[in-house]
Amino acid sequence: MQIENLNLNYGAVAPEIIAAVTGVISMLVDALSPKGARKTNAVISLVGLVLALLAVVRLEPSGSYFGGMVTTDPVRVFFSVIILLVAIIAVLLAGQFLRDEGLPPGEFFTLIMFATTGMLLLASAGDLVTVFLGLEIASITTYVMAGYRRYDVRANESSLKYFLLGSFSTAFMLYGMALTYGATGNTNIAAIRAIIGEGRVEHPALLLIGAAMMLVGFGFKIASAPFHLWTPDVYEGAPTIVTGFMGTGPKAAVFAAFLRVFADGFNVTASPIGAQLQSTWISAVAVIAVLTMTIGNVIAISQKNIKRMLAYSSIAHAGYALVGFVTGDFAPVAFYMLAYSIMSLGAFAVIQLLARAGDQKTEIADYAGIGFETPALSFSLAIFLLSLGGIPPTAGFMSKFFVFKTTWDAAPHYRWLVIAAVVNSIISIYYYLYPIVVMFFRPLAPGFIKPRIATMTTVALILTLVGTFYLGLLPNRLMNALGQGQKAVAIQPRLGDR
Amino acid sequence: MEIVHILFLAFAALAVVAAFNVILQRNPIYSAIGLIVVLCSLAVLFLTLYAPFIAAMQVIVYAGAIMVLFVFVIMLLNIREEESKTDRQKYLKFLAAPLFLALLGMIAAVVKTVGNPAPRGTDQLGSVQTLAEGMFTKYVLPFEATSVLILMAIVGSMLLARREKAEDVERIEQALAASQEGAEATEKEEVAA
Repeated sequence: MQIENLNLNYGAVAPEIIAAVTGVISMLVDALSPKGARKTNAVISLVGLVLALLAVVRLEPSGSYFGGMVTTDPVRVFFSVIILLVAIIAVLLAGQFLRDEGLPPGEFFTLIMFATTGMLLLASAGDLVTVFLGLEIASITTYVMAGYRRYDVRANESSLKYFLLGSFSTAFMLYGMALTYGATGNTNIAAIRAIIGEGRVEHPALLLIGAAMMLVGFGFKIASAPFHLWTPDVYEGAPTIVTGFMGTGPKAAVFAAFLRVFADGFNVTASPIGAQLQSTWISAVAVIAVLTMTIGNVIAISQKNIKRMLAYSSIAHAGYALVGFVTGDFAPVAFYMLAYSIMSLGAFAVIQLLARAGDQKTEIADYAGIGFETPALSFSLAIFLLSLGGIPPTAGFMSKFFVFKTTWDAAPHYRWLVIAAVVNSIISIYYYLYPIVVMFFRPLAPGFIKPRIATMTTVALILTLVGTFYLGLLPNRLMNALGQGQKAVAIQPRLGDR
Repeated sequence: MEIVHILFLAFAALAVVAAFNVILQRNPIYSAIGLIVVLCSLAVLFLTLYAPFIAAMQVIVYAGAIMVLFVFVIMLLNIREEESKTDRQKYLKFLAAPLFLALLGMIAAVVKTVGNPAPRGTDQLGSVQTLAEGMFTKYVLPFEATSVLILMAIVGSMLLARREKAEDVERIEQALAASQEGAEATEKEEVAA
């Protein structure tokens, strides 16, 4: 083994290192301060996240480091930015959450920082080994965060359920990786791509079943049907801010790894086995996308609890993002995840405030008539819901438009998928409008008190609102930047240049 | 068939049977013992795959240290047999069992096509030296990332399992009461109005 070929470039993993070191610092600060260090740790985490963001922007545009374990390409950069934005907003919201609920403050920031480390690693993984490690770091931290409110039986259930089912899906993922390794003799994604392209796969059947198992593993982590059954219970039971965090950040990170393994590694048609593998997984993803959208939207209609409703809505959104997969291009998926993360986090942030300490009020009926009592919150929630429903001029509309248009142009065989997605987004408008109607056109529910909004929470809300409108009104710059990374080509694409 | 192959197949079968035993037993002690059998069988599998060092680690760390702790904890906590409860999604098992069998059948069919390839490695593959070389060259980043993973697991389990401090309980109760009081106050106002 030659060490000089490994390319040990610490600058290439600077974002991950910064996030991990910040996590350790916040843990020590909390341990050494007698009364807990909520504010100090919030500031430390914010500084760390901004530094990590700078490090991401300053990454070399492309390269492969640490013996191929880490790879830099447009996918990594865009998804790392999404992950760090999600983490910044989560930290801003965490301060008020921890104070209002009287929860022990320190570890929460540590957990966010380590989850960010795992997600960044996942987005940068160039090897199945790093995919697995990033996935596990991000998952274990979110299991704990879901159970952070320990006195609450719902949170305990949520955490335990997520842990058991998450481990089960990890087993699938790991078995899939092992079989893929058995078939190709390599764990490096670029090398696997080369081996498949040259047709040097020793046992084609092993590769196919390995890919299928990994599809199950990824499908679970992004909450796509039929692997979605855990989502509503887990999202409902976890503290609302945690729900917002785990429904956006880890999901985006898993999408990045999913793209790199499938839309890059398993996307070669040069050899017969490659062509077979590619057509198989693309049609499987198309079926999963339709199932996911339809199940998510149809069940969301009958939900009375706003967190459950948003859980099903998040399932549906994973389905829309999966539509972009059939182009084999990362740009529509990346744009979609950015828009979805911002508006979804915004919606959960408002619900966190409206639900009060301990998530006592999460039924949609609890919000009857609050529209003009707390105009700032209810109008923000209305905007986020409309954006999730895909009403212009919001981010939700533009992201759906971008995904559907790219798919329509680039993958003529999958136009039926776009039609299914459009029908689904029309159905979804019904249940997104329902809470708005309840908030503004029903008599005020008894026992409503105006929530107090902390400064940091205000900043987070403004950030998400501005993001929602910015992506909806002025998406050109971002879309051009995404387009430069990759031209969308019908069913013969690559991610980045290697 | 060589003796190594027979050993491999026998212990692979034993591992699977013992793994079923782990999840099917109602008494946690029997489950733990089943797990020890799984881990020891895995150690034998590593041995037949030219990885003596990993086999030794498997026995010492997992079957030895970790499982002893498991059994101690189960005995100290005096966990009784798990009570069977009615399941809300009872009907799903009629779907799950055939699907699981189908998956097993598929894997078996695939494995059959692979046949019996010769092991790629040499007897040096699982030696301490090769492992150490890999760990500090090609796999140095995953090695470091694993430390983050383990640190996270420690912090997480401590966070979820530690005893709640009296002051913490008090603070949470106060916070929850504060938001309740607010709600009651507005209700009173409404009644008065």
